[in-house]
Amino acid sequence: MVSKKKRQKKSQLPFRLNILFLIVFLLFSALVLQLGVVQILNGEAFQAEIDRTTNDYSETPVPRGKMFDRNGELIVGNDAGYSITYTPEKGIQAGERLDVAERLAEYVDMDSEEHLDGITERNRQEYWYLNNTDEAENLLSDQEKEDMDNGEQYNEILDRIDEDKIDDYSKQELEVMAIKKEMDKAMTLTPQVIKNEDVTPEEFARVSAHLGELPGVNATTDWNREYPYDETFRDFAGSITSESQGIPADQEDYYLTRGYSRNDRVGNSGLEEQYEGVLRGRKEKIQYTTDKNGAIVDSDIVVEGQRGKDLVLTVDMELQKKVDEVIHDEMQSAIQNQPHENRNLENAMAVVMDPTTGEILAASGQRYDHEKGEFTKTGTSTIYNANAPGSSVKGATMLAGYQSGVIEFGQQFYDTPIKIKDTPEKSSWKNLQWVNDLEALEQSSNVYMFYIAMRMAGEYNYEPNKSINIDYAAFDEIRNYFGQFGLGVSTGVDFPYESTGYKGSNPDAGNLLDLAIGQYDTYTTLQLAQYVSTIANDGYRVRPHFMKEIRNPVPHEEGLGPVYKSHNTEVMNRIQMSDSEIDRVQEGFHRVFQAPEGTASSHFGDKPYDAAGKTGTAEYDVYEDGQLKASTENLAHIGYAPYDDPEVAYALIVPHVGKGDNSEINHEIGKGILDAYFELENEDEGEED
Amino acid sequence: MQNRINIDYTILSILILLGLSSIFTLYTLEPTLSASDGSGYWLKQGMWYIAGGLVIVAVMTIDYDRFHQITWILYGLGLLSLFMLFVGFPPGIVTEINGAVSWFQFPGMSIQPGEFIKVILVMTLAHVIVRHNSKYVEKTFKSDLGLLVKIIALSLPPMFFLVKQPDLGGFLVLAAIAGSMILVSGIRWRILFFLLFVSLAAVSLVTAIWYFFPDSVAAFLDKSGLDHVAGRFIGWLNPQETNGGYGYQLITAMMAIGSGQLFGKGNIQVSVPEQHTDMIFTAVAEQFGFIGSSIVVTLLFLLIYRLIYIAIQSNDDYGSYLVTGMVGMFAYQIFQNIGMSIQLLPITGLPLPFISYGGSSTLTYMLAIAIVLNVHSRTKEYMFETRWKN
Repeated sequence: MVSKKKRQKKSQLPFRLNILFLIVFLLFSALVLQLGVVQILNGEAFQAEIDRTTNDYSETPVPRGKMFDRNGELIVGNDAGYSITYTPEKGIQAGERLDVAERLAEYVDMDSEEHLDGITERNRQEYWYLNNTDEAENLLSDQEKEDMDNGEQYNEILDRIDEDKIDDYSKQELEVMAIKKEMDKAMTLTPQVIKNEDVTPEEFARVSAHLGELPGVNATTDWNREYPYDETFRDFAGSITSESQGIPADQEDYYLTRGYSRNDRVGNSGLEEQYEGVLRGRKEKIQYTTDKNGAIVDSDIVVEGQRGKDLVLTVDMELQKKVDEVIHDEMQSAIQNQPHENRNLENAMAVVMDPTTGEILAASGQRYDHEKGEFTKTGTSTIYNANAPGSSVKGATMLAGYQSGVIEFGQQFYDTPIKIKDTPEKSSWKNLQWVNDLEALEQSSNVYMFYIAMRMAGEYNYEPNKSINIDYAAFDEIRNYFGQFGLGVSTGVDFPYESTGYKGSNPDAGNLLDLAIGQYDTYTTLQLAQYVSTIANDGYRVRPHFMKEIRNPVPHEEGLGPVYKSHNTEVMNRIQMSDSEIDRVQEGFHRVFQAPEGTASSHFGDKPYDAAGKTGTAEYDVYEDGQLKASTENLAHIGYAPYDDPEVAYALIVPHVGKGDNSEINHEIGKGILDAYFELENEDEGEED
Repeated sequence: MQNRINIDYTILSILILLGLSSIFTLYTLEPTLSASDGSGYWLKQGMWYIAGGLVIVAVMTIDYDRFHQITWILYGLGLLSLFMLFVGFPPGIVTEINGAVSWFQFPGMSIQPGEFIKVILVMTLAHVIVRHNSKYVEKTFKSDLGLLVKIIALSLPPMFFLVKQPDLGGFLVLAAIAGSMILVSGIRWRILFFLLFVSLAAVSLVTAIWYFFPDSVAAFLDKSGLDHVAGRFIGWLNPQETNGGYGYQLITAMMAIGSGQLFGKGNIQVSVPEQHTDMIFTAVAEQFGFIGSSIVVTLLFLLIYRLIYIAIQSNDDYGSYLVTGMVGMFAYQIFQNIGMSIQLLPITGLPLPFISYGGSSTLTYMLAIAIVLNVHSRTKEYMFETRWKN
């Protein structure tokens, strides 16, 4: 019995072992199942992950495209500077970097004050630590090491290095520290400049010859913008960011999605910004294949580098210089002759363009600082600043009058002051009595324009000292006509920003009349230039532009490469008025410059070139805290020449000229511009002969 | 028949195949191990296998029945060595490696008592179960309970020392050994089920507490010096978030294993920390693919199958218990080691038996196999008794 019982008990053992086997079987099945999932189902994804993390890219910048003027003169170039860079491999240790720095110090001088003064106590401590690691480690007791993590230990050791230990370093050692300091700034696989100022050709050659023993070091050329014409046209050319500024933070996404790196230099104003995509070039892209330890096993040029394309601009730098000079000289003499009268005269601006193509030949601005007595060039104010141009807009007013049918050729009005009830009297510069449309332009009749404006607003029965009935839609109607000439709307210029001027927001009868004589809304100089060009160009409004051609770069050569793209003349619109109506206004403009009674004829009547145009004076007083401070005027001038076949048009404006000024500065500048233009043309022709 | 040594050639063959796999894998790893890891592991591993072979021969000469006599001495020595590690005596010989105090460092070699204690625990529990069952022939609920208490009481001290090293992996292996031996010890099902239920309830409770009060649990773990345990769980559940820490090893391990795909790629692209020891399976899987890794898993499974067969065949309870303990040790260790590298389990420090490089571990497993072979060779074949039919 006993033995049988015992055997029964014992029989439980195989059964339980079988349960154990079942458990083991299930566990191993789970292993094989999960192995299948990881290796067969997801294997490709893991392999892709490995491939992704073992390819790295490095990009080498290329020189930026240059800018030339229309005659091929260099405006913005590149000053090639040699540069020594360092590109760390993955996982490189501080000690290895020090080795490289020591070897590099034999070939490169880092003894400029900037470099040597930049060495901090910390740099010295780190240098000492790397050279005396064993001794340094003994500065901490084992107990202290146990209590601190690695970073704390390192900092504590550095702190405990005696000052006299790191005080007495030779110049050579200090240079090593300076190099190491620059190298430590580098991020993995990203080139860091070690030295790029005053690298001599000898240094460049020495480093180039020893690149083999300097892992990660490279000798390259770096580029800085140079401006042979100095400040002339500089603000139009614009600027680029420095390497430390990199791409603008507020447009980071824009640039990053276009393949830029964060420390790339990009155009951030002017034409550098406008044509960034053309000028930037294509960076050389190198693919590094790294193994799992971070060592580079292979490198391939994936994208061949190409320097940026060059811009040929429409400006003529000789003309630009002369226009700058004319404005400068005229402002200076006006201010010198009547310093008190012209105490608010601070700016003058002019744009010269080809009216048939829209090519901007010169754009010039001067600003005078009365306190410092200094002039600065502010050419872009021709695009950024808007002013009321006065009577120079009358050509547009007249054409609006024809087009809307409120006047016809030869229409006469009696020019005597207009007095609307409860408003100030408004008049021309003198009482011109009976004038027709041509005489109204020639002698600049304000009253004639008032009648056009009143009629466009539906008021045909003006009587002195009575209120008038006007339809305020006339504001929009007149602005709509003006807009066809480019006044108050975008000119379409190829520049990152342009002002379209200020539109008055107070529609009453007096303001409507002022609008018609250019004393209400404000316009930029460029808008005025487009307006006069449109009249000169028989009603075709062309887009003004700075870019004439884009040229492909010529490798390793100065000069211009083949044309990649050129800017064709672009007609934005044809004004609605008929050819005969435009001819009539052209004739009026011609009489301004040539007829005995013309407001500008005394200046232009006897010139060898046959010019036409319009003068303008807008009352534009200076107020301060609501108090009248000075009575001043904006003096404007627009014109083109030759009359029969216009090849040059200009617009200029001088705001805040004293009312008692007698310099006629607008006439003088206008004359100076056309004189300069034709003088240069004759020179060119003379050369060609 | 009695005096002839009956060798189990199946186990020997499997052992030789596993040994060759180990040495070959270590050989292929040689160029990718960094200088700080050392070199020549494949050669050293070969030496350890030869030393292990000598251990087998030596152990085979002694009838395993005589192990009863040295059980308590071994258990005492094992606990003593663990205690010395715990108190850090003698200093200079007890050293910390990778943040754990698990080693006696002698010139030329180092010994890891945490490995040997596994076999010692198997021998101790087998001895205690046999003695208990022969004393209480008529089993009662009370006697079963008494046995359970004895097993747990003997397992807890070494488990405590291992946790303190800290060696979470070793702790879990000891738990697996105790668990498998409790299963076969003859304790009635009612108690076993209750035990299972209590364990499951405890696990669920801990999980729930952790889930609902993560901050206070973290504070508690931090205070009790067990924060690395929590770190491992977090690294297991969210490897990407803890890429710098525990997650890093898992991510690289998965990448290595996964990229091996079906046929393997014949070389190693991914560097996994501890690739010659605990993470050796990643080297097998990356180079030889699913097919290669399945072959290794199958070999290990066949080994355990054979062990269980021997346990069943043995007509001596003591022999069966000894082998069962080894089954628990191997099965759990294999499952844990491979499972942790494919995100089935959290990562713990454990070698893969017979494949991972390691002197103490290889010797321990060879010793375990020696005991199994010893049990097999002394199994008497009765012509007329088969236990299967009862």
